[in-house]
Amino acid sequence: MLANLTVVPKVAPRRFALWTLLISFGGLGLSGCRLGPTDAATRGKELFETCVPCHQPDGSGSPVLGAPNIAGMKEWYVEKQLEKFRDGIRGTHFSDVEGMRMRPMALSLPTDEDVKAVAHYVESLPPVRHASSLPGDPRAGAALYATCSACHGPNGAGNQDLGAPRIGGIDDWYLATQLRKFKRGVRGADSRDFDARLMRPMALTLADDDAVRNVVAYIGTLRP
Amino acid sequence: MLERYLTGASTYAHSIDHLFLLIAALVGFWLIVAEIALFWLSFKFRRKQGRPTQYVTGEEKHLARWVTIPHLLVIVCDIVILVPALIVWFNIKQTNPPIEQTVRVFGQQWAWSFQQPGPDGILDTADDIRTVGELHVTVNTTYRFELRSRDVVHSFAVPSFRLKQDALPGRTISGWFRPNRVGTYDIQCTQICGIGHALMAGRVIVETPQEHAAWLIRASNPALAERESPPASATGASIVAEVRR
Repeated sequence: MLANLTVVPKVAPRRFALWTLLISFGGLGLSGCRLGPTDAATRGKELFETCVPCHQPDGSGSPVLGAPNIAGMKEWYVEKQLEKFRDGIRGTHFSDVEGMRMRPMALSLPTDEDVKAVAHYVESLPPVRHASSLPGDPRAGAALYATCSACHGPNGAGNQDLGAPRIGGIDDWYLATQLRKFKRGVRGADSRDFDARLMRPMALTLADDDAVRNVVAYIGTLRP
Repeated sequence: MLERYLTGASTYAHSIDHLFLLIAALVGFWLIVAEIALFWLSFKFRRKQGRPTQYVTGEEKHLARWVTIPHLLVIVCDIVILVPALIVWFNIKQTNPPIEQTVRVFGQQWAWSFQQPGPDGILDTADDIRTVGELHVTVNTTYRFELRSRDVVHSFAVPSFRLKQDALPGRTISGWFRPNRVGTYDIQCTQICGIGHALMAGRVIVETPQEHAAWLIRASNPALAERESPPASATGASIVAEVRR
């Protein structure tokens, strides 16, 4: 066997060298190509690996990292938010610590098809409900929720036509954090963020942090 | 010479370059000499029929010279490198020139953000300007920077300024730079800081005093900025666009 191998260069050294070069460069070229799955579902699952360190394999999120529970979120909403992060509409405010962490992750998705694929995968994850973690009075929150129900619906299921996401079943700590961000102008300050600009005055109707916790407590009772 | 490959845009860029070239030339020269000696000796004393292998203890004078002479040369070269290195270190790290402006730099997973004085020229007042991903500075002005980290260890690097400084959580580390060339230069994080480290980029925009004054008016008046154009300083849109390209 060894003898055969040593004979090859002697028989046709130039051809041997040429083939070696061709195979090497061909291999190098192929290594730069995307050889991953082409169907959206498998591609989405593969891309979701980038999200797992913060959002967890089941998409249930991590309060410690400020990563929300995204399992089962509608594809249109996830896609829209990813596009906002990619375009610098979200995650570029000085005080948006979690948003700034999310932006490079969204930028790591190379194409619009990839954004769609990962959004599709997120929607396919079974929704996860967590117990409430904030004190709040749902009865007081019910009256405050009247404003929200115009867009998010009476059961918090959301409304795509109005750009309003599902909020029923979303973790209370995340909803409270976002409401505070809207109130402070950390979200909804960019002129290109139309949905968030609509949301900001709504959040400002909540007089104080008690009101924020109460409305969030009420949302926690909703079953979309 | 290095400026052909990477623009030098601060007053101390050239002294860092000279030091780098000195080290590269000295180390490069001895690397080549050592490799030539190694290959020559390997070839000269290669295995030959009938020549037995020798056990060399290195105690004889003519053999010990191969160790002592290179050692002495290494020490001499170390001194040749150390003296200018200490001078550069002293001039940049130990000497603070008169400061004209102060800017606060925050590193966080995974963005650079900046706080600098508004029209009143004083930091920590209501008109402070806060930006993400873009730092606007005036050419030929000496800046003191106060570097902080909001989470883990980062490293604030502006290659064109030849500036690199680690940011440690819980500490404020200060330094200075004086940009001397108008233009836009990269900011990088040069300390692995998590999954988004590679995309933790930013820009330093070195402007003329007139350009900087115009930016200051726009940045401290968001309504005006919005009428003219999207607030680039607030969005870092240019960086995003470039990363996506």
